[in-house]
Amino acid sequence: MKVSYNWLKDFVDLSDLKPQEIADRLTTSGFEVEDVIYLNKHLHDVYVGRIEKIEKHPEADRLVVCQVNVGNRNVQIVTSATNVFEGALVPVSLDGADLANGIQIKPSKFRGVLSDGMFCSGEELGIDDNYIEGASVNGILIFPKDFVAGTKVEDALLLNDVVFDINVTPNRPDCNSVVGIAHEICALYNKKFKEPELSYKTCGGNVKDYVDIKIMTENCSRYCGAYVKNIKLERSPLWLRSRLFGVGIKPINNMVDITNYVLIEQGQPMHAFDYKYLDGHKICVRQAKKGEKIAVLNGQTYNLDEDVMVIADQNKPVVIAGVIGGVNSCIGADTTESVFECAVFDLKSIRLTAKKFGVRTDSSARYEKGVNINTPSVALKRALNLVDKLGCGQIVDGIIDQVNSKQKIGASEKISLSYSKVLKILGVSIAKEKVLQILNGLGIESQINGDVLTCVPPYIREDIKNENDVAEEIIRIYGYDVYNNVEGTMFENSSITIGQYEPRLVVENGLKNILVDMGFYETLNYSLYSPTAVDKLLLPENDERRKVIKIANPISEDLSSVRTLMAHALLLDISYNLSVGNKDLRLFEVGRVYQPKELPLKELPVENNRLSIAVCESGYDFFQLKNVIENLLVSTSLDYTLERSKEPYLHSGVSADIIAKDGKVVGWFGKLHKQVLKNYDINQDVYYAELDTDYIAGLPEKKYETKEVSKYQAVERDIAVVVDEKITNGELIAAIKSASGKHFYEVNLFDVYRSDALGKDKKSMAYKIVFASEEGTLTGDEINSAVNKVLKSLEFRFGAKLRQI
Amino acid sequence: MKQKLNEILTNGLAEIEKSADLKELDEIRVKYLGKTGELTQILRGMKDVAPEDRREVGSLANSVRESLENGLSEKLANLENAKLMADMEKEKVDITEPSKGVKKGALHPLTRFNNKFMEICVEMGFSVIQGPEVETDYYNFEALNVPKNHPARDMQDTFFISDNILMRSQTSNMQVRAMEKMKPPFKIVCPGRVYRNDSDSSHSPIFNQFEALVIDENIGLKDLMLMIKEILRRLFGENVKMRVRPSYFPFTEPSIEIDATCQMCQGKGCSLCKGTGFSEVFGAGVVNPKVLEMSGIDSKKYSGFAFGPGIDRSVMVTNKIPNIKYLFRNDIRFLKQMR
Repeated sequence: MKVSYNWLKDFVDLSDLKPQEIADRLTTSGFEVEDVIYLNKHLHDVYVGRIEKIEKHPEADRLVVCQVNVGNRNVQIVTSATNVFEGALVPVSLDGADLANGIQIKPSKFRGVLSDGMFCSGEELGIDDNYIEGASVNGILIFPKDFVAGTKVEDALLLNDVVFDINVTPNRPDCNSVVGIAHEICALYNKKFKEPELSYKTCGGNVKDYVDIKIMTENCSRYCGAYVKNIKLERSPLWLRSRLFGVGIKPINNMVDITNYVLIEQGQPMHAFDYKYLDGHKICVRQAKKGEKIAVLNGQTYNLDEDVMVIADQNKPVVIAGVIGGVNSCIGADTTESVFECAVFDLKSIRLTAKKFGVRTDSSARYEKGVNINTPSVALKRALNLVDKLGCGQIVDGIIDQVNSKQKIGASEKISLSYSKVLKILGVSIAKEKVLQILNGLGIESQINGDVLTCVPPYIREDIKNENDVAEEIIRIYGYDVYNNVEGTMFENSSITIGQYEPRLVVENGLKNILVDMGFYETLNYSLYSPTAVDKLLLPENDERRKVIKIANPISEDLSSVRTLMAHALLLDISYNLSVGNKDLRLFEVGRVYQPKELPLKELPVENNRLSIAVCESGYDFFQLKNVIENLLVSTSLDYTLERSKEPYLHSGVSADIIAKDGKVVGWFGKLHKQVLKNYDINQDVYYAELDTDYIAGLPEKKYETKEVSKYQAVERDIAVVVDEKITNGELIAAIKSASGKHFYEVNLFDVYRSDALGKDKKSMAYKIVFASEEGTLTGDEINSAVNKVLKSLEFRFGAKLRQI
Repeated sequence: MKQKLNEILTNGLAEIEKSADLKELDEIRVKYLGKTGELTQILRGMKDVAPEDRREVGSLANSVRESLENGLSEKLANLENAKLMADMEKEKVDITEPSKGVKKGALHPLTRFNNKFMEICVEMGFSVIQGPEVETDYYNFEALNVPKNHPARDMQDTFFISDNILMRSQTSNMQVRAMEKMKPPFKIVCPGRVYRNDSDSSHSPIFNQFEALVIDENIGLKDLMLMIKEILRRLFGENVKMRVRPSYFPFTEPSIEIDATCQMCQGKGCSLCKGTGFSEVFGAGVVNPKVLEMSGIDSKKYSGFAFGPGIDRSVMVTNKIPNIKYLFRNDIRFLKQMR
């Protein structure tokens, strides 16, 4: 919301307040001033000059030398402009001027002739023809004859003003207006509000004889209309144009400018119809019918339907209500009679319509924020006052005012609140007198009797309903600085609560720290991805994870789907790192996948927390990754077995699924499928692992229960057996364990050997078996007998042959 | 005989003194004290000594043996020590050579910040909970006093999935979920990801918030301010200053924004804080009684406060991260700086 300092002065005395001071105070009271724009920033040292004499430059054909009167003195200006003439009033920029297009003025010689400065074009002053005629010509701006030489141009053009760009929060629609902000300033500085001028002369007659207005939709709660005839359509006076220019609105003609002026000043959108185009001289506020069309002022034609509210005449829609006017009835050069509209439309309806057509106007923006039901009558009077003041037409007696609401016009609601509760919310002591002064200053008529705080907010303030609302009003005016040095104990009058972490976070943190200790770096990745991820990761057609939630309004294709797979992000990270020459990558991420049960989405998806790990490092292998997994899982109580992995994006021969006791696949790890590497432009092996941290967090905490250790030394025996390639270590270990007898302690594979001498598809597996007893040192015989049993069992079950080591 | 013993003593000690290694020393021991050693032979020949002299000679011989044995063991210790020293000298390394073994990795700066933030809050009696990121319109907006088509919806560009389901645009959805599930009094914090249809040099479409909510009797702005003050002190140090501005959020009333000393420039003024020396860290406020009632909490009895800072910016300034894009780019050269 932009409002100007001079405009505010119409409603509040600002003689003792500088613009920056007001801006700071508004900000600290809840109206953040995002920008303070000095309209005269580039107009200092620019004056109105009268060209007294023009002579040819002695040395240059294209230049002329002008003697110029700038009030109490004469200056000499050399110019190449061709539209200047003796007697012309022009802008003259002198030493020190800093123009809107960046030119800085210094006296200088042109071919030996001194020029004290420069004549300016409209562009150099930052204005165009809409602001003042002649400002857009390719040449020097020639001022109207009534300008006075020697006047500062900023004064002559009424640009000695300052504009505040204010961020008005949605709870204060009343402040999307000059009067709203003026009321706030009055409250902040304890000043009196000057009421706007609302009086005007009429020419008799009765508005009802000219136009008939009906509201036929719930979405319009009030509609006020007035009739103006014998309109003289012309440019508005400079004072009015300068006000609109300052807040960024293009001046058009007096009638349209008045509607925009009232919009900014009163916060009430208005419309002016060309009366002769209103069929049947009727105005009907209704929902559009399917099949109706309207061509509007932005050049578009829209197909309407029942969701769109329109203003229609007897036959056709003439305005998309509150959003944009139709070309069929707008003010034009031939307009002589007009109906003014001031209405209140439902903010949701306007919002939906503006969204539907993608049209956002000053009017729709105001309506979306909410226009108070009391505003139209005041605003309409203000518009008529301006019509009268500007002499742009004759006003027929009377205003049509249709109300279609249970809300009472001009009625304020009295609320009774608990004063102690207000104080509790604030938590700091503010004197009762101060509280009353602040509230009454805001126009909230307030009284305190014991604990009862009675408030009557002004009818324009629909946001004050309870203790919290009143507390906010008090503290934002009193100043939040009071808390900057607040001392004391927090939760002094409240309960003690015990803090704790969600269990999964504790588990995740533990796993993260183990990974960090093993040289891994944590990454952070977007949980939105490209829909092509499921293809790049080779998911088969029937894979559940191909059901991906799509964002309806994505920012880009790459971030258009909600991920069902973790691997994509880490692979992109690896690909990126390799592309910038980074090597030896050990990365992990703790994140989520979002798996919908069905599409389109009817209920919220299952959000599953995962730990994903990726390694891209020369010399890295499956068993190093397996070690990482074991180190992670040993910290949990997960009881698991490994099976060959079914993950489509892993190398089927070098990967494993981690299966929990209940049969659930709780993770997988292994080398990546070579096609996947290609799909991600990665030219070296990558090892990947993933764990379901929700599942792990759901397990009971790992309990550490220890046993007695034997005081006798354990005995080790190494054996090496030759077996078929297809026999796995897991099978052999299991067999060794079961055949080793009661003194078995542990067994470890320490070598795998293959050679032609062993035979095709044969391998030698070497194990260290450890025996121990709690009763005494084991004898050679006991151990030999156990080892023999092991060897026999291996031979029987797997055809294993003892190999001499 | 006595003379012979004295000679043995003198020669023996001299030889021990001169010996250069363990082998030599052992030869000396054999030469004097061995089975056929010089002193042994003398002791064996004691029977030939006149009985009246035996006592004296015997005593002398024993003292010579003791002296030699002491000399030998002392020298032995010296030589062994010298050998250890020599062996160790050979093992001397260049201590500036690189270490071996796996080098520690690092947590992401956001995790480090979050961990610290959570720790502070848990110590203050807050429980950490998390919830869904794909959320219904009800929890993300409606139950937070932002009905459909409310102008406050313009404050956030939301990613929608359907009319009713969206990517949460704020962690405040957890306020509602907590209020529905938990009985007051309670204190919770909810770190988590949020999504906005907004991406430029200073915004990321996915970023992180840290929601906090307290519901209890007698909770007001003072508790909120004291808590935030303490959090700022713990996160940014003793010298941090705070500044409070009024603001608006549909689910709190009064609503405030809290600025803290800009951690990039320590309040001197920089491009990040636009020269003000302060940067915005918290949106906060007293829970709107309408929100309490919608979630079934008696607003006459209970009140609360909530705050929900976006933490990405704080992570940036505390770690002097030059660009917000670094947070999600995962360049190992950046991550290694967090070790």
